[in-house]
Order: sequence, then C-alpha cells, then structure tokens
Amino acid sequence: MSSPSSFDSGAGLRLAIRCGGIEFTNPVLTASGTFGYGKEFEGLMSLPSLGGLVTKGISPKPRFGNPAPRICETAAGMLNSIGLENVGVEGFAAAKLPFLRRCGTKVLVNFFGTTFDEYVACGEQLGKLDDIDGLEMNVSCPNIKAGGIEFGRDASVLGDLVRACRSVISKPLWVKLTPNTSDIVALARACAEGGADAVSVINTITGMSIDAHTRKPRLATIFGGLSGPAIKPIALRMVYQIHRAGLGIPICGIGGIQTGTDAIEFFLAGASTVQVGTQNFIDPASAERIVREIGEHCRHHAVSDVRELVGALSPDA
Amino acid sequence: MRYFDARIIENRALGNGYFVLRLGGCDSLSGSRPGQFIMLRGDWGRDPLLPRPMSLLSVASEGRADVLAKGVGRGTQLLENAQPGARVSVLGPLGNGFPGPEPETFDLLAAGGVGLPPLFMQAESATKVGLVDRCEMIYGGRTSRDLVLLGEMRALGLGIHLATEDGSVGRRGRVTASLEARIEQHRVSERHLKLRIMACGPKEMLWAVARIAEASGIECYLSLEAHMACGIGVCLGCAVPARSWPFRYTCSDGPVFLATDLVIPAASGVQGGAT
Repeated sequence: MSSPSSFDSGAGLRLAIRCGGIEFTNPVLTASGTFGYGKEFEGLMSLPSLGGLVTKGISPKPRFGNPAPRICETAAGMLNSIGLENVGVEGFAAAKLPFLRRCGTKVLVNFFGTTFDEYVACGEQLGKLDDIDGLEMNVSCPNIKAGGIEFGRDASVLGDLVRACRSVISKPLWVKLTPNTSDIVALARACAEGGADAVSVINTITGMSIDAHTRKPRLATIFGGLSGPAIKPIALRMVYQIHRAGLGIPICGIGGIQTGTDAIEFFLAGASTVQVGTQNFIDPASAERIVREIGEHCRHHAVSDVRELVGALSPDA
Repeated sequence: MRYFDARIIENRALGNGYFVLRLGGCDSLSGSRPGQFIMLRGDWGRDPLLPRPMSLLSVASEGRADVLAKGVGRGTQLLENAQPGARVSVLGPLGNGFPGPEPETFDLLAAGGVGLPPLFMQAESATKVGLVDRCEMIYGGRTSRDLVLLGEMRALGLGIHLATEDGSVGRRGRVTASLEARIEQHRVSERHLKLRIMACGPKEMLWAVARIAEASGIECYLSLEAHMACGIGVCLGCAVPARSWPFRYTCSDGPVFLATDLVIPAASGVQGGAT
C-alpha cells in the first residue's frame, strides 16, 4: 500500500494532499458501506487511482443486519437500513485484510460498537492490524444504555468516546459525524478536543418513506439513512460551518458527490478530502472519473495545487 | 462482469405496459446464462437515482441483448418511453443463473407475469442444445394482456400451458394450480425423467411454488426479484432470509436459489395462491 507522498498528475498539477494524518495521492476516497471491502470493485475500476477507500463498518463480532426491505429509492436519493451487517474484527482480519494489503490505495477501516467499551475494544484491536492507514469511527450507532440515542449526537458523550479511543489507537483516527444534530460544530469541536485527526462530514440523514397504496413504510425498520445527491446541500452547509469555526481539524466531505465539480464544491467549503458514497452504486467506476474531473477543473481554472481550493470559498454570493 | 455504455436499438411495445428493449453494444453479455441479470440505467440525470435490475430475456450475436419489462414505476416508465439511439449504462452479467437443461431431466418452467424473461431464456437455451422437449412453460397472468411473447415461445418449439386469473386465455386460475396439474401429468407420462421446477414471478407465487415442490419432493429453483442498489453484493439491500445463514443476497448469491436453501413463509389464508 505504499504510495508516493506527492503526486504530479501531469502538466504540473498537484492533487496530493495530507488529511487527518494520512498522505493521499489525491483527495478522493470511497465511503464506508458503499464500497464493500474493496475487492468487489476489482476489475470494475482501478483501485490505485483512488486516494483511499474506507471499508464497511466493522464491529467486534459479526452482525447479520436488519430484515428486508432494507433500501428504497427516494427523490434523487435512497434510504438504507442495512443494520451495520459486517464480518466482525476477526473475519475482517482473516478474510478481507489480505486483499486490502495489496490493493494499491490507502485503507481506512470504519468501525463501531454498541457500547462504550465495545467501541474502545474494537478500535484497539483494529488499530493493531498491520497495513491499515487509519481508522474511521462511526458514531451513529444507538447507545442502548442512554435510551438508544446515537453516541455521536451528544457532544459530551462523543468527546469522552473519542478521548477513550484515542488513548488506545496510535494510527490516524477519524470520526464520521452524524448530521442528526442541531449543532454540528459542537460535535466537531468535541472530536478535535478528544484528539481525533479528522472528521468525516456527513453520515446519512435519518428519514422515512411511505407507500401510500399499501399504507406501509417502505423499510422494515421504518426509519433509515438518506444518502445521494438529495443531501448534498446539507452536507456542504455542515462542512462549511465546521471549517468556518476554525477548529483546526481537517474535514473529509461526504454527501451526494457525483462529479468532480461536486467534489470541488466541498473543497471550497473547507474539506481537504472527499468520499464518494451512493454514486458507487450507480457507476462503479465513478470515483476514478471524479479524480479525473477534479484535474480537469483545476487545469481549466489554472489551479496548480488542489490544496489551493480548500476553504477558498468567496463568501459573497 | 463489466460496466459499459450501450444503445437502445429497438423498443418494442407489447401492450399493457410491457415492452422489449433491444440493446446494442453488449458484447460483454455474450455467454450470459439464463437467470442472470443486468443493472440498467438510462441517461436521465439524478432522478430516479438508481439503476434497475433486469433479467436478460435473450442474448444474441453482434452484441445484442434483449430485456423485457413492464412500465410500473418511474424508472421502468422512462425505459418504456425510451427512443432507439438512446444511451443506457449496463453492469453485467450479474448473478448465478439456472442450471442448464439435461437429457435426463424434465424442467417445468413456471413464469408469473413479468417473471417470464429468465425462463424464456432457459427455453431458448434448451432449444439451442436440442433439448426443448425436456422442458415446458407454465405461464400465468391476470388476463390475456399479461401474457406476452407467445409467438416467440411457440417458435422455439416449446410446449406452453397458459393460465389467467380471469380465464380470458388458457386455464382459469393461478399458475400454481396449473403447475400442480402438470406435475401430476408428468408423474404419469414421463416417469423415466427427473422433474425439476424453475420459477420466476411475484414473491407470493414463488413461495407457493416452493411449497408445492417441497410437498412433491421436486428439486425447485426460484429466481427472486429484490430492491437493490448495486447488483454486486455491496449495498446489502437485497437480503433474503436463508436456512443456513441469516441472510443470502439476491444479487451475489442468486438471483436463482434452490428453494430448500431459503426460508419459505408459511401459506396464509389470503396469500396462499399466486399469480
């Protein structure tokens, strides 16, 4: 997984960027839950063309997920309620990691727990695996002991969780923030103060869909997470709010990115890197295309280094 | 499996919302097996967002592939109205497919409504290897307007048994009643051949077919439909309850499953029948 610390994409254009303690050859990653464990996309795209990939969320033990129906389409988006199905830490290390070691791009492992202690134990175990470049903590899980509210929705709980995980994880630690909050900046601040290296902004937005003909919800669990281009304006707003707060923590922007221009908008709002999510379902080679399109945009606008774009929003409309 | 652009060569309306799209530029689909599918999406912007899983109806030389669909939702209605020359994106071939025809077996192909394509392709494949007399189609729909491509099937030399709920053509009733009758008939007349059932159609029909197969001790393959976003085992949206594992995935473990591998719901009073 070694990759050059800087990358000249031709004609003097530099796409390489450092974000959250990791040097990427370009700023485009693929998002957890939309890219499997990487191998599923082998043959459909060039994995080394990615800046990095984020694996499916891993829990200490395997999980089998929610009953069907688990997904439904909505206006310019989709809802999912997969239930965090995954192979568990041991299954990941045995069956998935060998491929990731040689896939040619940076690998972040997304992880979660259902209790405070599970989070810490899972992060600690995964952090000890060789050839992983970093961890991304999913804090959108329900905290059973606190009445099912997401761990990541309470800044105080989130800060404690990040601090506890930070104390046992030496690799870069990113935190994927939930947008289901009235104060995204408070959550990002808790992560920064807890010692996180970056925040990924945003996870899916809780929503629901109803079939008027059957009078039933379209998901077995009634509620699910909304993703796709429908959420991009919300994601951009949250990235910008965190950037504007000047917390000093790098931001990885996520939410409805389909094109290079979408990614550029996130850079301007303050993201150093982006993750492509739902679009991987529509066009499995889209992340590779988005890297190309970012290069084309830079050349067209005489930008020689993608880092020039980060936070370069001109605030007057 | 490849992801590529194709063009609509022809869009043939069959009435009642049914249509056959003939796609060009699908060389990557040559060698597809009956039961395999593609993820198909028109060049229509951001909404509807996701590609549609479509069973292959037929794959011909020169990169041509046919799919049969019915315009029911926004995506299929857009495809129903798509013009020749329009660009579509295709990911495929996907999934596993039905087992091939064999000289020592007789396959009862049970199709309900828009579940026809994989079974049509299975019959076509049997014709190509000279085994069309080792299968027959039992094809049901609500009315005669839901039964399409009958001429094409007869041209394959295929035996066809039709069923409609309103009795407008063929036997009145559901396809499962016709299937039971055909099982009895074959037990008398084709005792030297091993019977198999291959079915595709609405879920309630498939569960009813599975219960008939289990009661009769007949090997049964079901081709399932499911909501899915990716088609390649990544989104995990198309989970189906299985016996040996909590879930299997329609796209990557199926879409064709041995009925005995799945958790088949018990018959309920209202839903025991099928299309």
